[in-house]
Amino acid sequence: MESLPRSSACVAPLQIVKGTPEVMTPSSRTPNFSSTMTNGVYLPQRTGQITPPLTPHDSEVTFERHADFQTYLRASYAYHPECHQNLTTVTLPLNGGDVILVHSVHSNGWADGTLLVSGARGWLPTNYCEGYESEPIRNLMKALTVFWDLIKGSSIGGLVAFRNSDYVRGLVAGVRCLLEKTNCLSRESNLIRSHDVLFKNRRALLGDLSAFVKVAGALKTLLTKSGGDLGVELDLEEMLSKAFKMVNRAVKFLDIWEEHMQSVDASVTIDHAKSMRVPPTPPADHTQFALSRNNQIASNAHNRPTSSENAKKEQNGVRSRYGRSSQTSVRPRSSNSFGHFHGLANRESASHRTSCTVSPMSQNLASEKLSALHNGFITSLAYFLGLHIQSRSSAEIRLTTEQSIVSCRDMLRLVEEIWERDRRRSFALQEAHDAMYDKIADLADAAKDIYRSEQFGEDSDTLVYAATACICAAGECVTESQLVVERIGDFEVESFGLGILDLEVARPAENPIQVSEDQRDVTTNGRLIPHEPLREPPPTPPKLPDHDRPVTSAMSATASSRNYSFNAVLVESTDNLDRSSEQKLLPPLPPFASCLLSYGDQFSSPPSSNCSVGDTQNNNDGRTREDSLGVSSSFDSSTYVGSTRDSEPSVVSQSSTRATSPDATLVTSLERPSLYKHETGIQSVLFEDGDEDEVKLLETTFAHELVYNREGQISGGTLPALIERLTTHDSTPDATFVSTFYLTFRLFATPTAFAQALIDRFQYVGESPHIAGPVRLRVYNVFKGWLESHWRNDCDSLALELIIPFAKRQLQIVLPTAGKRLATLASKVTAADGPLVPRLISSIGKTNTSIALYVSPDAPLPAPVITKSQLAALKNWKHGGASVSILDFDPLELARQFTIKESQIFCSILPEELLATEWMKKSGSMAVNVRAMSRLSTDLTNLVTDYILQLEDPKKRAIVIKQWVKIAKRFLELANYDSLFAVICSLESSTILRLKRTWEMVSSKTKATLEHLKSVVDISKNYVVLRQRLQNHVPPCLPFVGTYLTDLTFVDIGNQTTRQLPSEGPEESRSVINFDKHMKTAKIISELQRFQIPYRFTEIPELQTWMQDQLVRVRTSDESSMQNHYRRSLILEPRDQVQCKPSPMESQASFSSTKDKLDRDKFEFFGLGWPYHSKHHSRDKTVTRPTTPS
Amino acid sequence: MDKLQRRREYHIVVLGAGGVGKSCLTAQFVQNVWIESYDPTIEDSYRKQIEVDGRQCILEILDTAGTEQFTAMRELYMKSGQGFLLVFSITSLTSLTELHELRDQIVRIKDDPLVPLVIVGNKSDLEEDRAVSRSRAFQVSQSWNAPYYETSARARRNVDESFVDLCKQIIRKDMATRQVREMEKLDRGDRHRPGRGGRKRKKKFLDGGNSRCNIL
Repeated sequence: MESLPRSSACVAPLQIVKGTPEVMTPSSRTPNFSSTMTNGVYLPQRTGQITPPLTPHDSEVTFERHADFQTYLRASYAYHPECHQNLTTVTLPLNGGDVILVHSVHSNGWADGTLLVSGARGWLPTNYCEGYESEPIRNLMKALTVFWDLIKGSSIGGLVAFRNSDYVRGLVAGVRCLLEKTNCLSRESNLIRSHDVLFKNRRALLGDLSAFVKVAGALKTLLTKSGGDLGVELDLEEMLSKAFKMVNRAVKFLDIWEEHMQSVDASVTIDHAKSMRVPPTPPADHTQFALSRNNQIASNAHNRPTSSENAKKEQNGVRSRYGRSSQTSVRPRSSNSFGHFHGLANRESASHRTSCTVSPMSQNLASEKLSALHNGFITSLAYFLGLHIQSRSSAEIRLTTEQSIVSCRDMLRLVEEIWERDRRRSFALQEAHDAMYDKIADLADAAKDIYRSEQFGEDSDTLVYAATACICAAGECVTESQLVVERIGDFEVESFGLGILDLEVARPAENPIQVSEDQRDVTTNGRLIPHEPLREPPPTPPKLPDHDRPVTSAMSATASSRNYSFNAVLVESTDNLDRSSEQKLLPPLPPFASCLLSYGDQFSSPPSSNCSVGDTQNNNDGRTREDSLGVSSSFDSSTYVGSTRDSEPSVVSQSSTRATSPDATLVTSLERPSLYKHETGIQSVLFEDGDEDEVKLLETTFAHELVYNREGQISGGTLPALIERLTTHDSTPDATFVSTFYLTFRLFATPTAFAQALIDRFQYVGESPHIAGPVRLRVYNVFKGWLESHWRNDCDSLALELIIPFAKRQLQIVLPTAGKRLATLASKVTAADGPLVPRLISSIGKTNTSIALYVSPDAPLPAPVITKSQLAALKNWKHGGASVSILDFDPLELARQFTIKESQIFCSILPEELLATEWMKKSGSMAVNVRAMSRLSTDLTNLVTDYILQLEDPKKRAIVIKQWVKIAKRFLELANYDSLFAVICSLESSTILRLKRTWEMVSSKTKATLEHLKSVVDISKNYVVLRQRLQNHVPPCLPFVGTYLTDLTFVDIGNQTTRQLPSEGPEESRSVINFDKHMKTAKIISELQRFQIPYRFTEIPELQTWMQDQLVRVRTSDESSMQNHYRRSLILEPRDQVQCKPSPMESQASFSSTKDKLDRDKFEFFGLGWPYHSKHHSRDKTVTRPTTPS
Repeated sequence: MDKLQRRREYHIVVLGAGGVGKSCLTAQFVQNVWIESYDPTIEDSYRKQIEVDGRQCILEILDTAGTEQFTAMRELYMKSGQGFLLVFSITSLTSLTELHELRDQIVRIKDDPLVPLVIVGNKSDLEEDRAVSRSRAFQVSQSWNAPYYETSARARRNVDESFVDLCKQIIRKDMATRQVREMEKLDRGDRHRPGRGGRKRKKKFLDGGNSRCNIL
């Protein structure tokens, strides 16, 4: 935050209308007024009216507005401006305890801020507030600020940041940190157990977090699928409101905790005094404020406000909601309005732990379960469809089909349960049930056929049709079930193996249906509304249902008794299904993780089990490599960029994520013939707020140790945080990120540290079973990619001491085949000379195959331009005959042959040679190819000079110059900029340029060509001409390597190796890896690699031999040193003894002036023997002490 | 003078052996402060506006760090420069001797022994590893009639000063070139090289007389 100006701080305070709080229409937001939204009303004009600051009657205002910019303020007093109903005011009404995100503070004491409780933005008097900062919650607040900046600071184009979940993880980490610091991380902690209110608020907080995470997940999916569309705006607003809500809750949680801690310290009175402090100009409802504080402490329903609806709106949202939920919770439960139970259930679900205690019912209501299962099923089907549209590999289809079937089975099981209770009257349900069974069977058949036939894409219509039919059938089924449930009353059911829901022993059926007057709010306004009762904890303390440890035996009974014969449906996977369903009985393993485990067992099974996930994974790997190779090799020339995608297999994990967290957007976007459509939308995802969710939400994460740049890309982080990013469970790691990692990790971590960090990741993710499967698979894949394609024997071998035991023990237990494979790789890697698998050098890189196939191999090579007599002359020369000259050959062919030669070296440059200025090492540099490039380039320059200076006759020299200009022109045509540079360097050198008489013989046409060539290799403005040319250049091309080397040097020098982790608190800021630097390095290297494509010309061995001979001659001859060349130049064309004006050429090249004529004469005098250290000759008289540095 | 007003963009070439920290010097000068993220691939990466003698001028700095092995390219780089920063490391004597060749080449290309030039001894923060004595550097400074600065790019010592000195020299040279005919009549012995006066020198070193050595 310190380093970057917060975008929120940059937003000028705007005039905001206080409108009716019922409506929020974020979709009407326009980009121009992205910050003016308050309760959905926009005021385009900026009237600049600022209410003058109020003089606080209280003299003890603690907030020092100029001392330090407080990002968060907390209202100390309520503030309700009298004109608050006036539409032209922009002031925010405050209630004591409100937390405000501050965007800017005006010097008059008013601040532009957003109320977390309502999301409303406006002016507020800072003297009514004090800075809000508390150590436990600091990380969370920081994350919220980052999140706000991300949303408000980014245009639509900046939505990229939302495609990964880092920002979500930041908030999650914030909550985790809060709970950690308050010792409430574990539900089992003593504090939580003993303190009901804390317990309740903790659950509510987690519920809010869960809601937020889900919306974020939905948005991510939407973005990934749609590629950014304007509807996303809405989701952003929703996410923001969810985040606000969550933070608000966290603040409340912290308040309670602090008060509790103080009371524990037996100093209760202090706090009471504080909360009872009365502001000097007491606004109307300050008493309620005090009341509310008491409310929070006492947490009893009897303090329920009885104010009117209108008054409620003005109240602090927390309080009003609080009050409302109290009302709800004490209402007598009646079972009459079944039509509403769904919304109620949703509402309950967010805080069901607390509501449990009020009502004897649990969350295992049939209706709730039905809805959850339905959601799960729809989600898996939706994902199935989504996958299918992208025509993924058959292995994935297989996997998703299985998931769909599993969720379908669970759902049908529940439907049967319901049906059992009222058999006689539930014929329709039975029909629906059977229809659904048929449909899922059809789907399975279709999937099976496709899988067997391997003819993917052709039968896709069948598949899509079957899936759609399933959705319809499921909808019917749910509708019927709900009707039945409505008729017989809701009841509790035993849990099924979905793993999403809490597992409980069945209880006697009851009819504890709740009806809430807030029903409408729930169902119609899914959004943040001040008095929205959703997800509020009722005040009475909850009792813990005794289902922390699921009763496995009971479950097994259920599972076996409801054994659907899907064996018939999906014959090959019978084993799998059974296994996985067994596995699912193990409590901590959510379905997918357990699937992985069970499939993992089959890594070692015979090849016939070709449907196991083990194979899926292998397929993925195969597919990926195929993709990458295929992309750059067999398809077409435009697919280079394509290989940036999918370079890491991720499909398995994606599906797993989807399976465990229903995707709200997907669900809502699907048409379902359900009466309860509006209720099963976003809110219903709140269902799964069980124990596992808690684990899920509070997964160990290092996300708070990452730094982002303005574009939302990762610019730094600790090694564990970066590794975590590399192995995320929920998104494919960015290909650039991955390739940067492989390419540069040795610059910021030793191979051993890298391996250890990966192993750590493998271990600690075990604490979060729901993501452990995919993450561990990724860890394995990172190891595999490293060993296969990025291994460097010279420095990585130490890491084997970690990798081999890891593969043989830890990995093999979880993923046996992977473990074996890694162990094999580890044993092979030391023996191998090069990479085991041809490497994908970079994201935009290439493979060896791609080189050969880039240009269609069928295309005929251009015919060499060389005559028989020329070849004969070369042969003659080889056998000691007459020498040949460049004048004897066609410029085009010479250019081609030289380009072939240079291209061979260029294409051999390895990325390692370009790291950490390796090529600059004085000794032992491994950058052999880079050095060969510079040597060749230098040789060419000297060869050009040499050729020109060989000839005594200026006219002949002019002819040679003309030939070289022609060759240079061909170099340009061939896009061989490196050689072009070399030729121009010679022609522009002082040695050649000073040959005035020679240049006089050069035709103006040649000179014009030369001028053009010079303009191409213009080095001014940081090679801007050249850079522009290269930007969209299609290979083959030989760029000037020097620019890359300079760029790499400056990236290395100009960017520090570490950067500071921003921290808002006073604590010391941490240094983390400056990953941005490595990303930049990798980007430059990948730019170079983009051109590592060989030219397709016929090599003429005779010509090559001759050229090589010429280059060697120049390199080895003493005559070719720069000094000797210059000397030779002076011999050929001695300076005019009386030269009043420099030649036009020279005047271009120098700053010389006639005043230095005497000096010049001296130079010329010494010209012949231009000495190495000649300053004592060239000094003017004022120089006193000539020195001869040794 | 109107020409002077117009021409305010000066080209500076930074030269020196590899590993003397010249790119660090350039990066420090161009960046002012270490910025969030330095991208050397854009057009303005090496441009900097500074104020010299009350005049705003833009310096375009050509630092070919990393391409030292392309020896043939040097002349091309040198041609574009109006002033030269010759950098060596005080921890390496060879890095100083290598400057001689560069300086000869510059003088030859520019055809001017008095081309604006500043000698920079970098890494002055590594005093304990010093391999080039100040007197040694001062000798070179005197023989080339060019000011000598000891800098620390890492500690940002004397970085701006050396560039500003060079810039002043270029400006003077620029003016001098324009008034060359009058200058021609001046007694050569009395001629005082513009910009070498060391007006802004902060510290004098040893018996430097009209010190050209600038060591912090």
